[in-house]
Amino acid sequence: VFPGVRQAQWLTKTKLVEGLPPAVLGIMDNPALGLQELEERVKHVVSHARLWHSAEVAPRREQYCPVLFENLIHICRLMSGKYPSLTKRMLARNCRIAATWERESILLQVRGLSGILMNSMTPIPPVASKEEILATKEHVLETFYPIAPTIDLQEVNVYKELNDTGQSFRDGYPYPHPHTLFFLESANVRTDRFRPEQLRAKMLMFAFGNALAKAKALHGDDPKVLEQPVVVQSIGTDGQLFQFMVFQLNTTDLVSNDGVKNLVWIDSDQNLYERAQCVPEVKKRVVTKPAGISGFQPDTFKKFLALYLHGAV
Amino acid sequence: MAALGAWRLLRPGRRWFSETVPGDPSAPGSPLYPPVVASFTAKSKAAKSRRLQRFNERVHAAATVEEKLRLYGKLQRPKYTVYPQTFALNADRWYRSFTRTVLVPGMPPRGAAAKPPVAAVGATLEAGRAPEPGAEAPAAAVAPGAAAGAAPYVDIGELRSLVCDALLQESFYQNKKRPFLYRDQDHTPGPFLTQLVSTLAASLSGRNPLLAASSLDLSPEVNYYWHHGEEVVVHGHRKGRVDPVRFQIDDNPHLQIRVPKQLPEVVPLESDLGDVPVIDHKPSKLPLFKKQYENKVFIGSKVADPCCYGHTQFHLLPDKLKRERFIRDRLEDQIEVVYRSNGIASLFAWTAAQAMYQGFWSEADVTRPFVSQAVVTDGKYFAFFCYQLNTLALTAETIKNNPRKNICWGTDSKPLYDVVEDGNVKGFNDEVLLQLVRFLLNRPKEL
Repeated sequence: VFPGVRQAQWLTKTKLVEGLPPAVLGIMDNPALGLQELEERVKHVVSHARLWHSAEVAPRREQYCPVLFENLIHICRLMSGKYPSLTKRMLARNCRIAATWERESILLQVRGLSGILMNSMTPIPPVASKEEILATKEHVLETFYPIAPTIDLQEVNVYKELNDTGQSFRDGYPYPHPHTLFFLESANVRTDRFRPEQLRAKMLMFAFGNALAKAKALHGDDPKVLEQPVVVQSIGTDGQLFQFMVFQLNTTDLVSNDGVKNLVWIDSDQNLYERAQCVPEVKKRVVTKPAGISGFQPDTFKKFLALYLHGAV
Repeated sequence: MAALGAWRLLRPGRRWFSETVPGDPSAPGSPLYPPVVASFTAKSKAAKSRRLQRFNERVHAAATVEEKLRLYGKLQRPKYTVYPQTFALNADRWYRSFTRTVLVPGMPPRGAAAKPPVAAVGATLEAGRAPEPGAEAPAAAVAPGAAAGAAPYVDIGELRSLVCDALLQESFYQNKKRPFLYRDQDHTPGPFLTQLVSTLAASLSGRNPLLAASSLDLSPEVNYYWHHGEEVVVHGHRKGRVDPVRFQIDDNPHLQIRVPKQLPEVVPLESDLGDVPVIDHKPSKLPLFKKQYENKVFIGSKVADPCCYGHTQFHLLPDKLKRERFIRDRLEDQIEVVYRSNGIASLFAWTAAQAMYQGFWSEADVTRPFVSQAVVTDGKYFAFFCYQLNTLALTAETIKNNPRKNICWGTDSKPLYDVVEDGNVKGFNDEVLLQLVRFLLNRPKEL
């Protein structure tokens, strides 16, 4: 009906900030990372995912999207030669998330398979300063009168309020803090995939769900403003466009519309490359578009890497 | 030359130039008549050999490797599909005869420089190669008093904790639904193997620069097509003709690591470490079945990929080949056969496809050996294999004067742990982990 992120913001009592937070941008600008050499490798990796990894001429999105993601994660993981604390991370696939909360007397719930989750032993330090958190008190949440904010949500009779990521991991798990969620839109048919706006809304809801469950596990079920905000990152892609998001949960007091709000930084619609030409395009015996990757943007990978390294560097 | 032209056009009966023109050698090298050879299209053995010769010349003269592969696999005929993971009895003997492989039990002896010595847990100092970055300090451990030029040490305790964490996450901590029927391997051992390899490779990449430039594939395809031996066509419109026996391997390893530089050879190219079994029966007795489809040669990515050499493959045995099934059917000795046949067939296909990507084929035999490694596991038991490809010339023509044999070193399957109970891994076996680490740290001498 209207952009999904605005609705998700109201549902999760969140204030939106465009662009990535300065902490993450600072990691990107760190010259010790050796990003120049990595560019060449990332180009190879993109070519491998889009062109080379299967014997068919043009691999389909269902294949190349996960392959691209695995290759990018492999490059990021190989940085643990330089930063040994990166080994304190573990990827978990097919995690189920369940979180419940109340918003102005409407009971809301996030449930389902939340893509691929990366957990770490240490939590990410809060990204926004105390002043910024307090400043969100003045921010007024956008309402959609006369449309009810729960439009397009499925109404379900819930008999048990399930509330923990402890539901997907048992106690004593050595990597208790959710770090980053990855969403891969890899359906072949365009209508089966989420549009970028809807993908961002989905990322926000799941990041919020994970953060809320973690906060309730750490600080108990009472709604209150958190002393230690919980930060969860999220990256969504369809194989070419990337959406980056950093979500900071400042409060679990979600019933009222006033008070401290949560914060989310979104960097949307980052292209990793323009085109991947599998077969050279020939018009009138002249090669107009040679085979290969064109329009490669190294910045998108730098942001990916910065989000991966956030908390460990 | 005009004189020569006149000489050629001389009709019989003219006697002008009955004596040869002195000082005029009849244009050196240029024949008077076209060469007298057998025809191309006749139904005769000579014509068949000329056609084969022309095919060989076409493949030799192909400009690019893709063109060579396309010509090599152009003609489609019924061929035997060889499955690396098979329940056939004594399949490893058959596979060794198809691929001319010698099986040497145990791992190949490696030089002392390549083997990372393991220090006792609790050591404090760090020693290693000079350019080791400072961030490595907490990860490396050392035996006191080591010389400055010693190879870097590996902290087994930390790697053991990584492995245990991966195992516990997949089997204990993460709440998963019940496994689907007969899909137990996809539920726990599959994800465990993926986690294990990715985290181990990442943590060892600091020590092995080859790993730092490697490419990790999940469920890639590896295919190879070759001829070996001859047979007479039994029925059909081609009945009675002598045809090469064609084989095709289509393999799906669980995980594979490809690298841009080749692994060093283990033994010289012409070494003879044993005998290849000779089996007098037709391959269909194994049982092996014929099918006609595309002749693919593929290492996991196309020729354009810079990581064109193989490092290590990881295979997961499916539920059909579980140990319990063999024990229940009283075929305990076939358990090891399953691991061995998987190792030999998969590694032969991979190394041979790598060799073909470099332009070698059965008429142009390899000039350097191709080495790759594999780990075959069912989640708990691990078997390690190392394969050296010395020859691709396996067709009936080329094998006659070929003294070379391919070599495969393999171990028996050993358990990595005994049991996982209540968040604890009991009976962890350090040797298996050490062998895995040695495999991952394998690299060319100059790196």
